[in-house]
Amino acid sequence: MASLITCPHCGVRPKEEFAIRGDASRGRPEPMDSDEAWHDYVYVRANPRGRTFEHWHHIAGCRRFLVVERDTATHEVYSVVDAVEFLQRAER
Amino acid sequence: MVRDYNNRHALEQKLRSAPTPPAADHLMVGHWRTIATVLARTGQEEAVRQAIASVPELSLRFSGPGEWLVVSEVEAPSGLMRHLEELCGGRAYVVDQSDGRAVFRLAGPNARSILAKGIGLDLHPAVFALGGSANVLCGHIPVNLARTDENAFELIVARSYAESLFDDLMRMGRAFDLTAAFSD
Repeated sequence: MASLITCPHCGVRPKEEFAIRGDASRGRPEPMDSDEAWHDYVYVRANPRGRTFEHWHHIAGCRRFLVVERDTATHEVYSVVDAVEFLQRAER
Repeated sequence: MVRDYNNRHALEQKLRSAPTPPAADHLMVGHWRTIATVLARTGQEEAVRQAIASVPELSLRFSGPGEWLVVSEVEAPSGLMRHLEELCGGRAYVVDQSDGRAVFRLAGPNARSILAKGIGLDLHPAVFALGGSANVLCGHIPVNLARTDENAFELIVARSYAESLFDDLMRMGRAFDLTAAFSD
């Protein structure tokens, strides 16, 4: 089955347990950034084909935010990490 | 002003009929069970887990990293809160859930087949080991599922979902003549 996600805390779970929160690679603008920057951040969505990083909220499991690296065309999942770990990796 | 509050179980309306003798597969509703949420402070997860796991009367149910439901069959809510505060000593946040959750115990040879109708988790004895627990969806209802015996499972559900989960479980168990009653 293609729609199984391996949560780092809970193990293999069906996608119904998750809420998908969108692109994880974009940073939040600074509070005093321009209206355009905030408009882009809040409203403008890309619809990428291929490998992406997304926030998945394991809402019916451990309630942690995860970052799922997957292919939007094939739904092949490459990696799943906790969002905290994803941030720490990005800072390194 | 002094008010009197009647403490009523969430399933009092549903389970009013006279108790029938339990069949091979039986759903027991824990009448009064003491439950608390324990959330460890950052870095204290392992210490808190070990402190609570060292007490045999307390059952730890995994709820998230550094977070557990603690179930006691012997202590009253105030006693459990005191006990947990002593054990954790400022290393964790403890919240009483005894009136906020309902506990179901499903036992019998067909317990796995019944649960498999609503739960997307591998319940094979070799995978979901004795003492294991997990937050899962049962149908559309989030529950905490734990394996407490060879063929026995405990489901902890938010009080407001208790009636819906009860209806779902009875429907899932109808093919196996599932019976239900309060445990005491």
